[in-house]
Amino acid sequence: MNFLENPVNALSITGLTVRHRRTIALDAVDLDFGSGVHGLLGPNGAGKTSLIRVLATVARPFAGHVEFLGRPLSGHRELSAARRRLGYLPQDFGYYPGFSVRDFVAYVAWLKEMPGAETGRAVERAVARVGLTDRIDTKMKTLSGGMVRRVGIAQAIVNDPAVLLLDEPTAGLDPEQRVEFRALLRELGEEGTTVVVSTHLVEDVAAACTEVTLIENGTVAYRGTPDSLAALGERWEDEAFAGSPIERGYAAALRLRRSGAAAQEAGR
Amino acid sequence: MKRRHSEPLQQGDEVRYASGDWHVDEMMATHYAAGTVSDAVAWSLEKHTENCGNCATTVSAAVRARKDTARVLADVRSTLLGALPPQGAISHRVFSHPQPRHTRLLCRAIWAAGPALRGAWVVAVLLVCAGAVSLAYGADFTGARPLLLALAPLLPLAGVALSYGPSADPVHEITLATPSGGLRLLLTRCVAVLAVSLPLLTAAGAIVPNQSGAPGPATWLLPGLALTAGCLGLGSYIGCSIAAGLLAGVWSLTMLVPVLLATRRGDGVHPESALTEQLARVVSGTGQQSGWAAAAALCAVLVLLRRHAFDVEPRSPRAPHQ
Repeated sequence: MNFLENPVNALSITGLTVRHRRTIALDAVDLDFGSGVHGLLGPNGAGKTSLIRVLATVARPFAGHVEFLGRPLSGHRELSAARRRLGYLPQDFGYYPGFSVRDFVAYVAWLKEMPGAETGRAVERAVARVGLTDRIDTKMKTLSGGMVRRVGIAQAIVNDPAVLLLDEPTAGLDPEQRVEFRALLRELGEEGTTVVVSTHLVEDVAAACTEVTLIENGTVAYRGTPDSLAALGERWEDEAFAGSPIERGYAAALRLRRSGAAAQEAGR
Repeated sequence: MKRRHSEPLQQGDEVRYASGDWHVDEMMATHYAAGTVSDAVAWSLEKHTENCGNCATTVSAAVRARKDTARVLADVRSTLLGALPPQGAISHRVFSHPQPRHTRLLCRAIWAAGPALRGAWVVAVLLVCAGAVSLAYGADFTGARPLLLALAPLLPLAGVALSYGPSADPVHEITLATPSGGLRLLLTRCVAVLAVSLPLLTAAGAIVPNQSGAPGPATWLLPGLALTAGCLGLGSYIGCSIAAGLLAGVWSLTMLVPVLLATRRGDGVHPESALTEQLARVVSGTGQQSGWAAAAALCAVLVLLRRHAFDVEPRSPRAPHQ
């Protein structure tokens, strides 16, 4: 389960452009993601979901290449191989209301072609990791929004993915669940999983991520660590801007980007 | 399995046990067996005996030398052996999935069949079948057979539209990111839809008496198959739901227009006999049936050629939230 020794980045993106009809969601983006937890920050509509959907092999980019565990996502075979190693939590996802938590996670495990003998235990482990063991045989339709999202996280991690893509996983979680979820993220990152988590909550990034990528208007506005982003915020301390250092750093990076000075500042 | 190495060994001579360069002597083994060593020493000893056979033997002998421990061990052993089922039965009862194999396979099949088989669609198929039969026998409606034949090809189309795609399947986005998503899942669900609808509708058609000279109860099968295959082929370009809607529209118009024209002309032709005539034109006869068979085959080839179109979303139905 450890990919730390793998010199190739789990995800490598070059010149990625995504279009929705006439609007450009991502504009020639180059990015690499190695093992660890990567926070994807940015305002609404910046292109975070577009990026995650392309990485999840669900959407086809307009231009550019994605390498998944060192292999290009070119043909059907490569796509299937990548999908076996992938975990994906979409921003909006549905479920079959009559399914129990166990059924739902097992169904996804089955779709991911996990060997039947391992599935039962893997499902129970994934459900335990999101803290829903006591609800494992509850029908999905009776769960609260936060619990449904945790089931979503469980289905994403059921196959011990090498690459885990989470789109707004903390939406709908209460503060305590959010803290537990961040601990799970850190644990997954330490196990060598490449986790890419998009969020609009800066404190998620501060608490759980080893790296942060700020996307703004379809381009990469900032790359660095949560500490370096916070350090960027320190320099703006004189401003009348409340919030934690990393929130100030987020605002500062966006402002730098918008004022056109970010070409030098974007940590490369 | 990763083990933690840093057990708390901080003070006194306990430190030397952490170095690994030591062995268990008789005295230490006796103390360990009596439970009079500190936790830290006990942990070190246990860790050490995992890899050192000699010391394990020493400790084991010391433990067995104590009468009380030996008796407890013997008791546990005999109780455990008495409680265990005979060999061979264990693997099924304890370690494998609790459900029997055939139930599991059935569950899998229903899962794979997807949303249509669990939802309103099955009800619709049953209603159409029951409706045709009860109209024919209860109300002596002579047009039950042609009506059933005209409606039947629409039901598999509806089943496919309700089984697969971003608007039909709530789990679509998740399934698409799995190796079984895309065409394989679509075909599985399609087969399930056909497996339910073809026999039921054909059987209903056979039960309904044929009073108006309508085509045979199985004549709709090839048109139904061709439309379903066409739905998949067209769906590879525009998405299955829209494709199903389009084809259902075309089929309905083909059936309805002559009926409406006949009613409009008002020359005394019953709507049901107009429908019967139109059905005969479209599905009766070797020529028509071979035509439908060829269409089904062509569409199947198209699906085969377009199989990779289902690897990702065929189109973007909605701009995703960003």
